Amino acid sequence: MAAIISDELADEAAPPRPHRKRRSYPVWRWIILALTCVYFLIPLYAALRFAGFASFGQVVHQTGFSDALILSLKLAVITTTATMALMVPTTIYVHLRLPGLRRLLESITILPIVIPPVVLIVGVLQVAPGYLKSTPYLLGLVYVILAMPFAYRSLDAGLRALELRTLVDAASSLGAGWLSTLWRVILPNLRTALLSATVLTVALVLGEFTMASLDLYQTFPVWIVAFDQTSGPVSTAASLLALFVTWLFLLLIVTVGSRRARRTGGAQVDLISVTRRDTVR
Amino acid sequence: MEATNISPATAAGVTGHAGSGGAPVNLQQVSRSFGAVRALRELSLEIAPGELVALLGPSGCGKTTALRILAGFETADSGTVTVDGKDVATVPAAKRDMGMVFQSYSLFPNMSALENVGFGLRMRKMSGAGRRRRGHELLELVGLSAQAAQFPHQLSGGQQQRVALARALAIEPRVLLLDEPLSALDAKVRLQLREQIRSLQQRLGITTVFVTHDQEEALSMADRVGVMKDGSLEQIAEPSELYTHPASAFVAEFVGTTNRVPGELTGGGQVSALGTVTGVQSGCDGVPPGAVDVLVRPENLRITAIAGGNGIVSHRTFLGSVSRISVLLSGDVTVQVDVPSATAAELVPGASVQVSLDGSPVQVAGRG
Amino acid sequence: MTAKAAPAAAPGSTSDPGAGPRRGLPPALRRAWTLAGVVPFFLYILLFLGIPAAAIAYGAFQDPATGQFTLSNIQTAAHGIYLHGFLITTELSVITAVVPGVLGLFIGYAIYTARRGALLRRIAITASGVFANFGGVPLAFLFIATLGTTGIATRWLTDIGFNPYTNGFNLYDLGGVALVYLYFQIPLMVLIILPAFEGLRPAWREAAENMGAGTWQYWRRIGGPVLMPSFLGCLLLLFGSAFSAYATAEALTSGTIPLTAIQIGSFLNGNVLAGQQNVGKALGLGMVLIIAVLMVFYALLQRRAARWLQ
Repeated sequence: MAAIISDELADEAAPPRPHRKRRSYPVWRWIILALTCVYFLIPLYAALRFAGFASFGQVVHQTGFSDALILSLKLAVITTTATMALMVPTTIYVHLRLPGLRRLLESITILPIVIPPVVLIVGVLQVAPGYLKSTPYLLGLVYVILAMPFAYRSLDAGLRALELRTLVDAASSLGAGWLSTLWRVILPNLRTALLSATVLTVALVLGEFTMASLDLYQTFPVWIVAFDQTSGPVSTAASLLALFVTWLFLLLIVTVGSRRARRTGGAQVDLISVTRRDTVR
Repeated sequence: MEATNISPATAAGVTGHAGSGGAPVNLQQVSRSFGAVRALRELSLEIAPGELVALLGPSGCGKTTALRILAGFETADSGTVTVDGKDVATVPAAKRDMGMVFQSYSLFPNMSALENVGFGLRMRKMSGAGRRRRGHELLELVGLSAQAAQFPHQLSGGQQQRVALARALAIEPRVLLLDEPLSALDAKVRLQLREQIRSLQQRLGITTVFVTHDQEEALSMADRVGVMKDGSLEQIAEPSELYTHPASAFVAEFVGTTNRVPGELTGGGQVSALGTVTGVQSGCDGVPPGAVDVLVRPENLRITAIAGGNGIVSHRTFLGSVSRISVLLSGDVTVQVDVPSATAAELVPGASVQVSLDGSPVQVAGRG
Repeated sequence: MTAKAAPAAAPGSTSDPGAGPRRGLPPALRRAWTLAGVVPFFLYILLFLGIPAAAIAYGAFQDPATGQFTLSNIQTAAHGIYLHGFLITTELSVITAVVPGVLGLFIGYAIYTARRGALLRRIAITASGVFANFGGVPLAFLFIATLGTTGIATRWLTDIGFNPYTNGFNLYDLGGVALVYLYFQIPLMVLIILPAFEGLRPAWREAAENMGAGTWQYWRRIGGPVLMPSFLGCLLLLFGSAFSAYATAEALTSGTIPLTAIQIGSFLNGNVLAGQQNVGKALGLGMVLIIAVLMVFYALLQRRAARWLQ
């Protein structure tokens, strides 16, 4: 079957790799980077020295460790699910139908960064109904508020990288209802953003101390602090462990995500920022 | 460019019927405002089955709004939209069975070319094997069989638009809608794709609405061209008619090159300019007698090299068989005159010339 | 060949995602229907943020013994040690907003301009994500182990002849706390300033260079002014974040430095004078009000930023 449209069109090359002129980094930039590394790495090293490698092995065996960790993980699941269920549709909806609200949404989701968790937990404990208060799940739901800034920024970055309107219109014209569009077109292209938002949320839950302790639940961070009385080194080892594991996870996701992006050619989404292909400086 | 060797059977195979795959489209008195801006003012447009109508106009004229209302992405404030005799106002875009090709970035980045083409079929619950088969058919139709497994970012702009076209055609639409599909492409690719889209459309006989701001594109591709301005249809006619008998000054100046020279309009339907008197075209009735601007095309002007004439040649551009002479007339008016290159020898920059109308009826417009 | 099948819509779905909903409705109702999509979000905010905040506000004006309306809580909260607490907290917050702000700006820029996909960049961004949430006792402990009186760094510095403690440094006073705060403030700054760089078009830089502008001039005339609204907005956020931080300072100082957040916490722990149980709520209200003012400025700055960086 001969083609109606032949492929012998003008020599359009496949999109060229952008040539980027390398600027030389001024010295002061290296100095700042070096100082920053020192500042961040030395305390970690100090803690490692203090804990001793032996402690890492002991962490898992301590009393209360597994209970606290499991509680934290449970909360993480609740919070992540609730956050995604709330933020994903809302962010997509606003990008699509109410772009004017984007700034308002951004301002609201920023609030939790600046609202004192101390104050929040006081308020929550006052008004929460009894049946909810007696379960740790209340905490999980309140954590959604804390997770919002990071989740939103992640999702927002992912959506910014897409030509959302055009893609949705195209899917529509081909007969897709909103569910199909969401599932087959939007979400697959948001995979990295979704994963990043998830990991950030989990990191938050696993590190949140203030509200959990005031709500009198022994989550993992609360356990770490309490355990500090018993054994400083082990407690420190536990914190470091949590830190590194989370970090590794995030790194993994971003790496896999960018590899995928290269395969499908999407704009590079690094956690909460987007680099288009033509960005030079 | 193998545009001519398609058997009717192949075309039928793609559309499912023999040749006449289009449905009639009718817009009646469609209006749409965005806040204080009236994007469409009582637009009425009738498109016959299988016809390719181009909507041409500057940005903001409402052509894209009209297309989107047809597609179902916008709703009209008033007026009716009928496809194949049925009112589609309550039909959501997803159910309208219209294929649409967007300007750019409409291919799903997470799917290969083949998967993109098969998307509409998946929405219609076609089996995987059926989708792949049909997808390959259509990709072959647009000459991209080899690229079936490639992802959009690996394809050039022209290839992407061809995949988008294949995708739109896969669902056997009653109407094909094209929203400036070639605007983002390189000039050379644009030209070639233009011809081939047209051939494809003709073979398949799908009713098509093509939106563009490029008048050359519209004139070369369409059965009829609708020129729009500020939400209204100024004129809709075959390209040649549009060119030779523009219904208004706007159309005359938007389509092709038009000169404006000062003239005098008498009450008797005659106008004098450049020392010649000639008739006025119909459609200029609203212009009061007196000082007017006469709109005349470069090929409708006579020019002779003569001392003491009414103008001086400022430029001569060689365009092949025709040369375009820029003449500076008194009163700081510049006109373009087209002459056969063979006779243009004496018309050098600086030469004194006499420019006059050739006698065919002209458009007039208010002085300004 | 193939029979034309009408597209099967998902059961229960009404309109498609792209077009406006409910054609045939008057525009006002259509608009309301569109807004309905964000109702769940706002409802959640109301339930878990709004109502608790209202409860705090209400309690702030309530006499704990009689339940009557009173201004005494507010009075107490605005004077004496509590006022002092606000001032100290503000001082701390300003320092730990500006310094990380500037540092975070440079680091963020260095990260953003690193080669796409470079390992350094990835490590830095993920580190920011993790460390921005790192605080409290673990963080305090990290620094005690480093710069405490017997910390590793303290010993190193003493070995080369400079004992920080004999030269005015103290981990457990305001300066020390500020130093520790940097550990999560800097990553936070990096996280929130990164999106702003997307708005800097490479074409601007190239055009400027074309016209003979050097790096300094580019930043002074073009890049700087364009980034300024976002930068200031980020500073506000950092201020707010430092202002409301609790766990870290508490862990380090056990309340020896009067910080508002810690004072609120002590109310929750029951260290209160009789009749002053609701002062903590008044303090909380005060904090929220300060933050609210900040957010208004933040929103204004964002609007300015959006105009330029779009």
